Amino acid sequence: MVPLAPSDQLLVNRIRSGESEAWNELIARFEGRLLAFVEGRLGRRSAGEDVVQETFLGFLNSLPNFEDSRPLESYLFSIAAHKLTDHLRREGRRPTLPLAAGSDGNEWEPPDRGRAVSSVMRSGERRGLEESAIVDALNEQIDRLRSRGEWQKLGCLELLFVRGWANRDVAIQLKMTEQTVANFKFEFLARLRTLVRKQGLSEDVFPELQEND
Amino acid sequence: MFFRNCKKTTDDNDLPMPQPLTQHELEAYLDEALPVDAMARVERALRDDPKLAQQLIAINGRRDAGVHSLGEIWRRHRLSCPSRDQLGSFLLNVLSEDVAGFIQFHLDVSGCRTCAANLHDLKSQQSDEPAVVDNRRKKYFQSSAGHLRRR
Repeated sequence: MVPLAPSDQLLVNRIRSGESEAWNELIARFEGRLLAFVEGRLGRRSAGEDVVQETFLGFLNSLPNFEDSRPLESYLFSIAAHKLTDHLRREGRRPTLPLAAGSDGNEWEPPDRGRAVSSVMRSGERRGLEESAIVDALNEQIDRLRSRGEWQKLGCLELLFVRGWANRDVAIQLKMTEQTVANFKFEFLARLRTLVRKQGLSEDVFPELQEND
Repeated sequence: MFFRNCKKTTDDNDLPMPQPLTQHELEAYLDEALPVDAMARVERALRDDPKLAQQLIAINGRRDAGVHSLGEIWRRHRLSCPSRDQLGSFLLNVLSEDVAGFIQFHLDVSGCRTCAANLHDLKSQQSDEPAVVDNRRKKYFQSSAGHLRRR
């Protein structure tokens, strides 16, 4: 799994010890990109600034639960996405659904909040292990594609797995045959299955690994 | 260069998009991770088709049950995103044609909003008024510093 960068780890430690200069540093480093993220969706600067403000508060409130194995930037973006969702719900642009267990719309917390403690410990640990294993397996494949300069294949896999496009649409977009797309997908999933088995994890919790087309 | 002909040349609405909405897209919608135009399309579809809301609830149920989605994990860890340094080099036009082509594809076709936000921020650093940025940062700091304590 991509770990927290040493410089970020140091910054988080300083913030955890209550150092205001470190907090200022984090704000200066990340506020611009977070604002661009939320403003791009809201289309309004003042509302965007409000959401970024809530994001920083959410970060401080969730700091005791922050896992040091996770990159700081992606953690901040996930809080911003959550706060943005809350804002859009309040505006009536998003439906109110049971979007995450324990989500009350006011405070950012990990999704398992609210369950019995023992259940949280077991499922949280297990899920963390599974996620870590799949991240390692995905990273291995993506790094290999990058080092070989196989950008076409990487782009194809992004559209298939990140955007969820059908083989046919990917083939049209990338101007390749549907069979080539299917071959890339098959090869990628086969390698992932092997890596998951090596880790002794159940394939049942990764339904996409069973796909064959 | 492979991606030369793959750049988005039209509005995002014209890109191929499977119909009906796929589970991947609904998952990305829940994570606020689709391109802005695609998010708006899902919101419109949700207003017209109440069954879609049930699909979203089902996805949340599967997540709560511990079922993983590759796309969800891939996005959360930003596994194929360029680094911020690479985005800076992309702006300066100093990357190889292949790498630059992939980044353009990642932004335009894969529609990565996080990378688009980083790129926008890097561009803004050269154009924003320093006083405006300072005021904004002060506001964030003043509204949150009271929550800063030993944790």
